[in-house]
This record gives sequence, C-alpha cells and structure tokens, in this order.
Amino acid sequence: MIEVLGLRFEKREHSNRLWQASMTLLAIIVALLISGVLIISAGPNVGKAFAGLYAGAFGSWKAILETLVKATPLILTGLAVTIAFRGKIMNIGAEGQFFAGAITGYWASTNFAWMHPVLHFFVIILSGFIGGAVCGLIPGLLKGLLKVDETIVTVMMNYVVQFILSFLLSGIWQAPGEFYYISSPVPESVYYPVLFQNSRLHVGFIIAIVATIVIFWLLQKTRLGYEIRTIGLNPTAAKFKGINVSQVIIITMLISGGIAGLAGVGEVVGLHHRLRMDISSGYGFTGIIIAMLGGLNPFAVIVAAIFMGGLINGSNRMQIFSNVPTALVYAMQAIVLICLLTFQVLANYRIRRVKVVD
Amino acid sequence: MLSAMMRIATPILLAALGELITERAGILNLGVEGIILTGAFFGFFVVYRTGSIPLALLAAVLAGGLMSLIMVFMAATLKVDQVVTGLALNLLASGITFYWYRVAFNSIGATPTIEVMKIAKIPLLAEIPILGEVLFSQHLLTYFAIIMVPMIWFFINKTKYGLEIRCLGENPRAIDIKGINVTRLQYLAVAFGGMMGGLGGAFLTVVSAGIFLPDMSAGRGWLAIVVVIAGNWQPLRIILATLAFSFFDAFQLQAQSLGVEFPYQILLALPYILAIILLTTSRSKSEAPGHLGLPYNRD
Amino acid sequence: MEKSKPLLRTLKLTKRFGEVIANHEVSFEINPGEIHCFLGENGAGKTTLAECLYGYYYPDEGEIYFNEERVNINSPSDAIRLGIGMVHQHFILVRPLSVIENIVVGTDAARMFLNLSKATRRLEQLCAEYDVSLDLSAKIWQLSVGEQQWVEILKVLFGGVKLLILDEPTAVLTPQEAKKLFVILRKMKQGGLSILFITHKLNEVIEVSDRVTVLRRGEKVATVNTSDVTRADLARMMVGRDVVFRVNKPEVEVGGPVLEVKKVCARNDRGQEALCNVSLNVKAGEVVGIAGVSGNGQKELFESIIGIRSIDSGEILLSGTEITKQSAQSIASQGMGHIPEDRLKEGLVPDFSVAENLILGLHKHRFFKYGGGSLDTKEVESFADKCIKDFEIITPSSRQPTRNLSGGNIQKVVIARELSEHPICLVANQPTRGLDVGAIEYVHNRLLMQCEKGTGILIFSDDLDEIINLADRILVIFKGSIVGKLDPSTASREEIGLLMAGSLEVEL
Repeated sequence: MIEVLGLRFEKREHSNRLWQASMTLLAIIVALLISGVLIISAGPNVGKAFAGLYAGAFGSWKAILETLVKATPLILTGLAVTIAFRGKIMNIGAEGQFFAGAITGYWASTNFAWMHPVLHFFVIILSGFIGGAVCGLIPGLLKGLLKVDETIVTVMMNYVVQFILSFLLSGIWQAPGEFYYISSPVPESVYYPVLFQNSRLHVGFIIAIVATIVIFWLLQKTRLGYEIRTIGLNPTAAKFKGINVSQVIIITMLISGGIAGLAGVGEVVGLHHRLRMDISSGYGFTGIIIAMLGGLNPFAVIVAAIFMGGLINGSNRMQIFSNVPTALVYAMQAIVLICLLTFQVLANYRIRRVKVVD
Repeated sequence: MLSAMMRIATPILLAALGELITERAGILNLGVEGIILTGAFFGFFVVYRTGSIPLALLAAVLAGGLMSLIMVFMAATLKVDQVVTGLALNLLASGITFYWYRVAFNSIGATPTIEVMKIAKIPLLAEIPILGEVLFSQHLLTYFAIIMVPMIWFFINKTKYGLEIRCLGENPRAIDIKGINVTRLQYLAVAFGGMMGGLGGAFLTVVSAGIFLPDMSAGRGWLAIVVVIAGNWQPLRIILATLAFSFFDAFQLQAQSLGVEFPYQILLALPYILAIILLTTSRSKSEAPGHLGLPYNRD
Repeated sequence: MEKSKPLLRTLKLTKRFGEVIANHEVSFEINPGEIHCFLGENGAGKTTLAECLYGYYYPDEGEIYFNEERVNINSPSDAIRLGIGMVHQHFILVRPLSVIENIVVGTDAARMFLNLSKATRRLEQLCAEYDVSLDLSAKIWQLSVGEQQWVEILKVLFGGVKLLILDEPTAVLTPQEAKKLFVILRKMKQGGLSILFITHKLNEVIEVSDRVTVLRRGEKVATVNTSDVTRADLARMMVGRDVVFRVNKPEVEVGGPVLEVKKVCARNDRGQEALCNVSLNVKAGEVVGIAGVSGNGQKELFESIIGIRSIDSGEILLSGTEITKQSAQSIASQGMGHIPEDRLKEGLVPDFSVAENLILGLHKHRFFKYGGGSLDTKEVESFADKCIKDFEIITPSSRQPTRNLSGGNIQKVVIARELSEHPICLVANQPTRGLDVGAIEYVHNRLLMQCEKGTGILIFSDDLDEIINLADRILVIFKGSIVGKLDPSTASREEIGLLMAGSLEVEL
C-alpha cells in the first residue's frame, strides 16, 4: 500500500487488461507531452518538431522502410528480454548477447566460403544465435545451479563481451590499413538480401518476424513455455508441482541470449556489412523498454519496436525541420518508460483518501 | 602513473561511496551511470556560463540529487522494479544531457572548453618524493573523496542515522515498528548517493577533461557499483578496490601511450570479471544488505 | 480480596478481515501484576486480538481502556507510548547487527553519536535483574533462539513497559529455555509488570498464569482463574462441545499400505529439528487424520512426503517403492496426489486460467503433442470441461482467470486436478482452511468418494471436527512427534485436545 500526500493507494484485487492497456496509452501521451515541454524549454517550435518526427518516421514509404530497418534489431532484443522477464529472469545482458552474436556471426560469414549460399546463410544465422546463447548461458548457469542473482552478472557480461570485441577488432580482425577498430567487410555474397530496392530493409526483418511467431508459439503452446510462465508467475507452485526450475532457467537464458544474438548478427551481415564497435546504440537496453512497453507480449513487442524505431529514424527529420537535436529521442524513450512504470502502478491501485482516525 | 591512478579513481570513489549509502538503505540504484553523466554536464555548463567552479560543483551536486530523487520516488513510494528504473534513469540522462548540450552549444563552432580546476598542492607534504606527488599534489575533490572514506565509515558505524540506515537495508520492518519513517530515510540516503554521484561526474568535466562529450561517463557508474560489491559494502575495502582497478586502468593507458603491444582489454575487463567471480563465490560471506533491491511493504 | 483497577480492558472488540470475523465482541481485562493467558486453537483469534492491542491492526468495533481511560491505539508507537510492548512469534531482528544496536535503534538512547555507555549499563542491569547472561556486543545471528527471544524482550523492557505481550513464546524454545523464560516472567510479575501470554499449550497455562481467557472461533468462551480449573476443563473450553455435522461415511474395504513413513527426521527452513522419528502408514481405502495445532511439523512432514523437502533420516515408501530421494515429479507420476496448505501460493498460479491450472503437473506427460512442442487445446479443453462438470466447479468458462473464482471453487480446481489421475495416495494439508460450510462439505464428500475408489488419504488438519468426521484412524502430532493414536469412534474431543496441546502422553 502506498501513501503519499494524504492519498492512499490500495491494491486492486483484479487488474484487467483493458485498464492496463489504456494506462500504457496514457503513459505514452504523457511522455509525449513532457517531451514537448522539453522541446519548448529549449526554444524550437514544438509543432515543427513533432511534425518532422512523424514525417521522418512514417511520412513516406521510404521513411517507413527505414523505420523498419531500425526496428529490426529492437524486435529481437525486445523478444529476448520478453522471454526472460516472463520467467522473472532479469536479463539485462541483451547488449552483450547482441555483440556476442555479432562476433560469432561475423566469424561464420568470413569462413565457410565453400558452402552453398543458402546453407551458409543458415549457418550464419545459427552461429549468431549460438554466440548469444553462450553469452546468456553463463548467467543462466550461475542462477540456475548456484542461485547467483543474474541482474549484475548480465550487466558485467555486457562489458566483458565488448572488451572481447575490442580485442578482436584491434588485433586479428582489424581491417588492414585501418586505424579504427573495424573489421574487413563481410563478403558481399553473404549479405542479407535486401527486401525492397532503394531501401536498406533486409531479410533480418523477416527473421525478426519469424522469431516473434516462434517465441509466441514457444510461450503459449509448448510445454517449456508453460513452465517458463509458471515459474515467472508463481515459482512456489512450480516447485510443488514438480517443475525443474533450475533447468528451465538455464534453457530460458539460452534462448533469450540466442535471440539477442540474432539481432547482432543481423546488424553485421544485414546492415553494416562489417563488424565494428558501434553496431549497437544501446539496443540491448532499449530492448528492455520495448519489452515493458509491449507488456511482455511478443506481438505487442513488434508494435513497440516499430514505435521506437520510428522515434530513432524520425529524429533526423526532426532535427532538420526544427533544429531539435536527435539526441532527444533517447530521452523520450526513457521518459516513456518512466511514465509507463508510474502509470502501471496506478493501474493496479485504487485511490482512497486516508480516513483520519481520531 | 600513480598520479593518474588517483585522478581516475576519484569520480568512481565518490560515486561508489554515495552508492554505498544508497544500497545500505536497501535500494539498488543502477542509475549511477546516468547520475555521473548528469553531474558532468551540469558542472561543465555552469563553469562555461559563469566561470565559477564552486557554483558548478554545487550545480552538479544538486543535479545528481534531483536525478536520484526520481529513483527513490519510483523505488520507495511507487515501489516499482528498481532495476528497470535505474536503467531508465541512465537512458534519460544520456539523452537529456546530450540534448541540452547540443541545444546550448549548437551555435559554437569549435568544441567548447572550460578552464579546469587547478591542482591544490599541500605545502610541505607535496615536497616528499614520490608520495608527495601521488598523495599531496592532487585536486581538492580528490582530497575530499579520500577524507570521505573514514567519514562515511564513521557515519555508518558510529552515528544514529548510520545505525538506522543499516537496519533499513537489512530488515526494514525492524525499524518500522519502532516508529521510524522508513520512506523518509530512504529518500535521504538515495539523495545523498545522487549528490555524491553528481560530484563525481563534475570531476570528469570540471577537473579532468575540460570538455563535455556525450556518454562520457563511459561505464564509471557501473564500475562504482562493482567496486561496492568488491569492497563488500565497507568503505575501507571500497577505496582499496577502487585504487586497484584504477591502477590497472592507469597502467594500461601508460602502456598504450608507450606503444607497448598487449591486450589491454584484459585489464579493463578485469573489474567486471572479478565482480562476477565475487558474486558467485562469496555469497555466504557477502555483506550485501539483506533487503537490497526489494520493495518494502508494511503489510 | 481488594479489587484493583484493571490495567487494560477491552469492551466488545471486533475485528474483521473482509468477510472473515477474526474477533467478535471480545471483552476481557488484565490486572496489574498479573500473568494472563490467551488460550485457543489456531484461528481462534488470539494473535489478532493482541495485534489490536499493539496497534498493528485497528479494531472495527469496540473500545480499549488503559488504566480506565479510553484510548485509541493506531500504531505501535502509540502502544509503546502507553507502555504496551509485544514480542512476536517470528522475531523482527536485524541479524548482522549486535544486540545493543538492535535494542537501541530508534529509541531516545540513540544519540547522534551513539554513546552507548548509558544504554549498556541499563541493559546490563536488566540482564542481572532477571539473571540472564548475554553478550551485548554479540551479533544476532550468533545467538541461540532463546537468546534472540531475550533480545526481543529486552527491546520491550528497555523502553519501559507496563504490559508485555508474548505471542506463542515457547514455540521455538527447548523445554529448558521455556522453563527459564517462566522464571523470568514470574520475576517480572513480582516487579509489577503485567504479562499477556498467548499459547495453545495447556501445560503452560497451568504452570505460569494467574488467569486465562479462552478464545474459540473469534469469540471469548470464558475468563477464569487458573487455580479454579483443570486441564480437562480448559481443553473442553478450547475445542468446544458443538453438535458436529457427521458425514455419512460409507464402509470401505481397506487394502494394503499405500504410504509408509518410517522413522523420518527432518528439519525446518530455519535448520531446526521439525520432525523426530515420525512413523505412520496409510492403507488403500482408508483415511488417516493427523490432528494438531499448525506449526508442529505438519508442513515439514507434508513436504517430505510429496518430495519437495529432503529428510535427514528415515524412509518413505509409496506402494512399497522407496520414494525418499526421488523428485517431486517422479513421486507424483507414481500416483501421489497432494492438496497444499496455501492453495494460492503453493497449489496454483492465480493469474492462469482454470484450464491452465488444471493441467499443472499433469502437463509433464499429457496435453502436448510432438514431445512438448504443441499444446493440444482440444485435449485441454475437453479435460477442463470434464473436470468442471465432474467436480462442480462454478466458473463462467475454463478460460476464466483462477483468481476470480471464490475460495471454495479455487479449492475445487486443486481437488479436480489431484483426483483426476486417480492417485494411489492423496496427502491433504488443511484442505478446508478458509472455506465456507458448503465448500467444506464438498471437500469432505469428494475425499470420501475417492476413498471408495481405493485411494489412501492422509489429511492434516487443525480442525478437530474435520478429523473426527473423516478419519478411520487419528494420529496427533505435537512438536514434530506423533504423540497419540486414537480411534475416532471411541476417542473424546477432550482427549484429542489434550494431546494436541501437549498435555498428555498416550501409549503408542
């Protein structure tokens, strides 16, 4: 029960989905309002800013495609966090798992040249998954077998993997002649095919959609998914009814890491076509926001990812139209999350005035 | 190089001591990274605009405190998930500081710089060979950070509020039933943590770099959290851990500048790997506050 | 004898939790310098009443008088100010900190710079007064349970107290520690302190109290002078002489043993011994009822049998096969069903639909095609519909979130699930706790029906009526041991009550 300023918030017995969805919407609206205030306080025209934002995100077919490009890794990291959070596993390591997948995916793309292209394609995807999965396995084992809290461990792994990447890119994988930490380009034959001419939208988007369907299926229709959900909602009952909680935790982290790894390999082979230090702008952490925005529902994650991708994509247009720096959208993402957390609490509570007992 | 070690250690130590108090009060504030960044920005901004370093430090402290108020409001009043909130705070700081930086300095062509704070040599002691340079020719903030170590130790172990905070982090109910306002205490503890973090951030710009770069906190906030774990939540061990990690950092910087070829990344990754090992092996001996990260509900 | 002014008096105190009435118009009084006991079974309302006196709960109706002045106790701080202190059954201590730190925090003695010399002296004085030796600088986790309890008492004494409330203080003590506690309590009484002692153990009431208030099902039965009553009188008052609704128990042919528990020793979550050489057996078609007040090892025994608690020694056999070291899942698959004590926390996932909860546990080998890859919704739905029909679960559909159902129907979901696979043995822990009369009747009927099908049932209950109604054989558990074996047709409630309260040792 929360008490603040003479109002008491009592927990509702049931919180229905409609109320929660409308709270999400309210959170987004309030977040946009706050962002508007931020923009005004700095001078530029709010109207132009939001107009530019929208135009850049969804204003034209080209814009939409580019938004989807930005959304692709976000869908995958959002899914990765979703499946972990559903099992009440705090996987904050999607960023590291992303990079791990990028590393192994890059390695697979520059080897196996002798393979048939289609086979090579699937091998690359698989190695991206495996890289991320291995990265997720470590915190998974520590939590499942030794009951070590995964929150800090996953964050630490983020840094360890990024240092491994730095090591590789400054050494054996550094492109000859390059000063920066950047690899040689991936052979053109293994580029992810582009879906539409004149756009950057690549088959990674399809992979993301397929992954969404798979994760949805996994959670709702399989025995493993059933057990994950049970553990996430009531680990005590899970134990009483014979579910092997440790095993499920380990498997969940494998899958979660693997999905994030798919995001990584996608950015390397589908977009940048090289391995670099900056292939992620915090996609792992943004994935957390997307998972929360999507209410931990895989299909809603797609919507949330497109929304976020739109914000990131549209920010360029916004800057051109109204001089509002693109950096604002990162603040907007955070504001959306904070509003969401706040309003979700309100959705679960009923407000009562505190009766003063005399 | 040892001098560099002290310079690298200062912001981390300041933030870590702040985070220590926050965590002893039971709240896991993962937003330290964002708080440092906020402090760095406001420190820089105020010096640029007013030329006054004391004012800038004050601004940084207040800014850090304000950011942390968001954290404690979400954690102690609304009782939402502390981990996600902390991460949101990092993202917020990253975006807002970058945004405001662009807005404020858009028109300026070259990179805006400020004059950094000068080293404050302690007379006489600074003349001592080696030790004089390392310990007594540092900036005021560094002396402050070092002095804070025993002061925080004293506060936690020998004062009334320190005792209450220790109880709070272990078993909030124990002091709740004695009529102590648990929420108010958490607000104070977290605000202190934020102010220290802000000060640490200010060091980066006002003392060290003289410029502001986006995301210049560069993982120092996370290092502060790691150092609290490595120091087993005790001030003396925290400064030792901080110095150890800073030493490796200074060492690899020196080695790089000399052109020595070696995988420096290993040294940089060391604190993080160590943290994982510590979390795994010393679970039984860990002095982590028992109620850390858990929301407290009276019923 | 001169009638002195009562120290504390309640008038028609009533406390409700939603629909449940925990205390109903309870009026009683405590005199200064008196040791007063609250006696009653679980759920009688003893602790709730005490919490109202301590300010943790606020009574819905009724009045409290302290020294004949009407008072409102809204929070523990109010109670402390009046001079009322409480030691809870589960200690509220800060384990890594020292004794003196735990006592001093939040009191006036804690000055800014924690000069503890004055406090230390006062505490040493108190310890000497009651002849207790305690190292004030020791950390709580280093102390024995008895010493920790003394710290809790010191916390109260330190602030100056007129009325000390103790909630089941001997529940965690060894007999020697309990004896020591009573010596201390008598000394306190001589010093003018009043003590309110909550217990379900008759021996303690007789040994230490001046007067006793017996509570039953939220009502006060009587307040008597301890010297005026016998143990038997108290037992009778405690468990009552209601006309009991007797279920028609069909004659069932009893078969071979389905469950055998042999000399099992186990510990509780705190690492203390909870079960000591427990042996029992259940035969096919019979109901064995274990009577006892909650907290005497039932939880640990239940969990050991179903396989989620490992035991220190002994054996458990299901239909002759040893299941001692097996996993919960493998035990369940061999024909063990269970109804847990806390259906919402241990038995179901409240946010799941009725159908999803019905398949919990059974999902391991049914309801999924392709080795777990695809949910067979048809099979689930038809199974769920069948359960809803066969077990009369009232719900709009099988897709309804389970938490929306009434308590009785939630229990029906658990029962439907556990009985649907026709278990060889069914273990039920307080299966009708918190249910209304109709639901209780339902549960009893279903259990007996299952008996007819040959299942052996072991039921733990702190409700004597239930045990007498259902059981073919009665066992009584007290402090982790079986202290009595009775035949329901010949045993008296009084006898069972005495055994439950640790007051009798029957030849086993």
